[in-house]
Amino acid sequence: MSSLLVCEGVTKRFGGLVALNNVSIEVGKGEILGIIGPNGSGKTTLINVISGVLLPDDGRVIFDGKDVSKLKPHVRVSLGISRTFQGSRVYPYLPVYYNVALSARSVYRDPEIARAKTNWALTVTKLIAEAVELPINLTPFKLRMVEIARAIVTNPKLVLLDEPFAGLSAEEVEEVIKIINKLNNLGVTFIIVEHKLRYLMKLAERVVVLNNGIKIFEGPPSEAIKDREVIQVYLGGGVS
Amino acid sequence: MAFAKPSIKRRLVRYVPSITIMVAYSCIPLLGIRGFWLDVLTRANIFALLTLSLDLYSGTTFYLNLGISFIAGSSAYVVALLYRYLGMVPEYSIIPAIAVAIALSTVIFLPSIRVRGVYFSVLSLLLPLIMVSLITSQPLSLYLGGEGGIPLPSLFSSYARMLPPRERIPFLQLTWFYLTTALTIVAAVLSYKLAYSNFGFMLRAIGQDEELAEASGIDTTRVKLLGFLVSSTLAATAGALYAAIRPPVTVDVLIPANTLVPPLTAVILGGMGTIIGPLATNYITIVAYELLWDAIGRWRTIAYMLLLIVLVILKPQGVVFHIYLKLRKAIATKLSSVTWR
Ligand SMILES: Nc1ncnc2c1ncn2[C@@H]1O[C@H](COP(=O)(O)OP(=O)(O)O)[C@@H](O)[C@H]1O
Ligand SMILES: [Mg+2]
Repeated sequence: MSSLLVCEGVTKRFGGLVALNNVSIEVGKGEILGIIGPNGSGKTTLINVISGVLLPDDGRVIFDGKDVSKLKPHVRVSLGISRTFQGSRVYPYLPVYYNVALSARSVYRDPEIARAKTNWALTVTKLIAEAVELPINLTPFKLRMVEIARAIVTNPKLVLLDEPFAGLSAEEVEEVIKIINKLNNLGVTFIIVEHKLRYLMKLAERVVVLNNGIKIFEGPPSEAIKDREVIQVYLGGGVS
Repeated sequence: MAFAKPSIKRRLVRYVPSITIMVAYSCIPLLGIRGFWLDVLTRANIFALLTLSLDLYSGTTFYLNLGISFIAGSSAYVVALLYRYLGMVPEYSIIPAIAVAIALSTVIFLPSIRVRGVYFSVLSLLLPLIMVSLITSQPLSLYLGGEGGIPLPSLFSSYARMLPPRERIPFLQLTWFYLTTALTIVAAVLSYKLAYSNFGFMLRAIGQDEELAEASGIDTTRVKLLGFLVSSTLAATAGALYAAIRPPVTVDVLIPANTLVPPLTAVILGGMGTIIGPLATNYITIVAYELLWDAIGRWRTIAYMLLLIVLVILKPQGVVFHIYLKLRKAIATKLSSVTWR
């Protein structure tokens, strides 16, 4: 299995706080990697470092064989790294269509291709009927879909999802999982951050467990729930 | 549900009101309006350029550029200095002055790469004030005209001299009116097209969530820089025209109360980022001010300030909705190529 993304000894500090401590991960092409850990363990920070929203203090991020550690977020998008934000972020005063189309337009110079790609992303996420709506008028589930549409419209090789299931009902989670599987079958690689392990059990072949910025486990989810240290970390929080 | 592309005829119909207004405005001199009111409208045209400059960048990105007085002032002073030291008349110095002012304006832009929100505004406001102190300070005032300013011949005055004395001023007033009107129409159409283009929406996206814009693929620094440069061009053009039409050039043009507060009021009152709203408000406030001169007199700045305060308290919410309604139709057209149930 050839690697699409390699993080080598990534360290990120916020003042005295070490949010990521020498974290190394590797993600294969076409894989779905889960990242779990309690609140404040550094999951979002890792997504931020991979997407370029934050620069690491130490270590490297290698994507598709290229060191992208110093590149700006928009350049990484054009290379094929897309992301969503925890809790859904959208442009509140731009209709759903533009929330998605502007990303398409920033990657595809040809407006016709950008338009076709936007229509595709809105169709996959079942947002065509909401395309003219302002985000304010959407349910949390539809907002999550807008973010996913925006992330996939740029034709990414790697999609980073930060807590994509948070606050959704069981049926809505199923919808999101369906889209993830559909794109994964098309060859898109995913890193999915979750607070709880439950949804990743059937989705991810492999999970990485973070605690206090340190990687404490790496392996199949079925083994994660048996790991003593993982259980220790989740004591009280519950693994599932 | 399917949307049809609007026919060419319907699209032309959409432009009828705006074209009518532009033609009617250009025909104002034919109604016999001359002298004082033509001067007022010429000044309103120049302020329209400032308003467009402010609305195009600050109205979309919410990076409130309080430094437009600096940009306009720079180009006005370059026009004046090129005459004073090289004998260049405004006919020739306007374009180089605009270029110099655009280059200088990047001084305002640089902090906005790192500094966001209110800090950018504060920094941008400092620049015109620093310029005023420099120009009026001891050694420099000798070279930069000091308080008295720099005299220069007004635009087209060499042509006017070929006319009999009585016809000179009316000729100049008419020429200036047509020149500034033509430039304003071009600027307004371009600004409108830009503000509602993909590029304009990228500026708006940056205004609504810059980190999201960057993380979703938009080269935010490049988009901001381009938007800023277009905006600076408009402000610099206004400054150069002001110098060329209303010499002498004094620090008045750099003082924010003169060249920032009126366009700022127009942008906030007219609806940030809508282009048309601020443009209309610019003309309404300037004409209203002249009509109300007897009542308001020298209290203009205070009147503007009060208006601004009232507006900030009332916070008009209609603006966003206006842009949104406009977009609904555009999106419907773009989606028409998709089939769905
Ligand atoms: N921008 C920031 N500035 C300062 N501290 C931060 C910042 N982002 C995250 N942190 C801190 O880093 C730690 C890890 O945060 P985060 O990556 O958001 O955790 P998680 O996503 O796993 O809940 C937390 O203690 C958080 O308070
Ligand atoms: Mg998080």
